[in-house]
Parts: sequence; C-alpha cells; structure tokens
Amino acid sequence: MAELDDIIHQPLRLKIMAALNALPAEVGLEFARLKKLTGATDGNLGAHIETLAKAGYVSVEKAFVGKKPQTTVTATAAGRGAFARHVATLQEIIAGKQI
Amino acid sequence: MIDSKQATNALADIDDTVRRVRQSLIYQLSSLIMLMCGALVFAGNVLSWLWPRYGLYIWIGVYVFATLGLFALSAYNYAQSRIRTFDHRYLLTFLLIIAFGIFCCVFGQFTPRQQTTFWPVYIMLFYMLAGVWFGTAFIVIGAAIIALTLIGYIYIPGMPFLLWMAVVNGGGLFVGGLWMRRS
Repeated sequence: MAELDDIIHQPLRLKIMAALNALPAEVGLEFARLKKLTGATDGNLGAHIETLAKAGYVSVEKAFVGKKPQTTVTATAAGRGAFARHVATLQEIIAGKQI
Repeated sequence: MIDSKQATNALADIDDTVRRVRQSLIYQLSSLIMLMCGALVFAGNVLSWLWPRYGLYIWIGVYVFATLGLFALSAYNYAQSRIRTFDHRYLLTFLLIIAFGIFCCVFGQFTPRQQTTFWPVYIMLFYMLAGVWFGTAFIVIGAAIIALTLIGYIYIPGMPFLLWMAVVNGGGLFVGGLWMRRS
C-alpha cells in the first residue's frame, strides 16, 4: 500500500512540484515566475524550495543574467518519481483503495 | 492519512497549478509574437502611408517577415523550454488563414481602405477565438483592436487612416504583448 509523501503533501510544496512537473524534464522555472504561479511570498517560497532541495526533489541553480541574479528551480528525476507516486496515492484514496 | 475529499482537493490544486503553468508558457511566447507583429504592422502601415503605390509589396514583405519571425521565436522558445510551438502544422494553419483572407478580399472586391480594415478585424477574430481556449487576455486585446479599427474606419477619412491603424493595430499589439508579458 503506497503512502503519501509528507514532504510533497504540504500545500505550497505540492503546488511547487506540480508546476515543475508540468514542464519537460530538465527544464526549470525562475523563482519570480514560480512565486507568481504559486502566489507565495519570497520568504515562504524560499523556505519550501529549500525543504524540497534537501529531500533531493528539486535542484536550485543560481546565475547572473546581465547584472541581475536569477534563481532557477528544476524538478530532479527523484522528485518527478516521488510526485508521480504521490499523485497515484491521492487517486487511490479517491478510488477508495485506502482509508 | 487523509480522506477522499482532501485528496480530491489536493488533485484539484495540482490541476489548477498545471493549468496556470501552461497558460503562463502560452502567454510568454504569445507576448513575444505580439511584440514582433506589433512592430511589423506598425512599419507596414507607416510605409504604406509613405508609399501607397507599393502597398501590396509592403504587406507581402510584412507577412514574409512575420512567418520567418515565428520560426525564429519558436526556435528561441524551444531552446528555453524544450517545448516546440511553431511547426509545419502551424505554418499550414497560418497560410490557410491568409489564403482565406485573400479569397475574401478578391471575391468581396474590397477597396484598399476596406482591406486595411478587414485584415486586422479578421486576424483579431482568431486572437479572440484563441482566447476562448487559452486566456481572456487574447479576447480583451482582440476586442479592443477591432473596436478601435472600426472607429477609425468610420471617423478618419483618407490616408491618415493608415497612421491611425499603425498606432491602433501595431501599437495595440505591442502594448498587448507587454501587458501579456506581465500577466
């Protein structure tokens, strides 16, 4: 019986993983765009990305575009797998296979 | 463990986020296309005002540059997001839209002034149709440009109508592209 992933299940982290999984593999989202898509504040988003990064679910790349710093967040293969399992578990719960 | 209602809500959140990401990607590319088309249409109208005799060649040039630009933006977008957006199917769709527009102009025996009005209204119709599927920004931009085009057609006589169209159509697409970029 599959279990929900506690790291992904937190609402904002779920949104972050959903957004990153909507993109092709190895394509990431800029921090500012992710902030707009999830409706989170800078601090909140940063903290949850750090949690996901510590779990190995996302990679964070910091670079300079011109003179502006740019942070890009990308779902790792492990993160994509964990997200897929999490979604499958949610679907099982809805189908009544788990209590 | 959570119950099925909470699981349903979580899946709804995921669907909503995925929808927002896709809309954001569409807006990102569309804004670039609108900025390019805005600049080309502005140039087309101003050049037609300066050299009205060469209007046909000017607009053929505008459409050729627009098609090449779409391929270039598609290649740029693919390099950024690994999502292919403008391939031979889109090119065929684009050419069919243009062909039907030419068919209407020829069989309707439109005057140059009527053609200047017809093309933006016709193209904006497709923007508005796109808006039904991809986001209200397309509908707002399309409706605004159609309304301003018709106002110019009714109230601005003679050649200055081309300058009005340069501002309304070219400028409208440009401003719309910038607005979409921020959405």
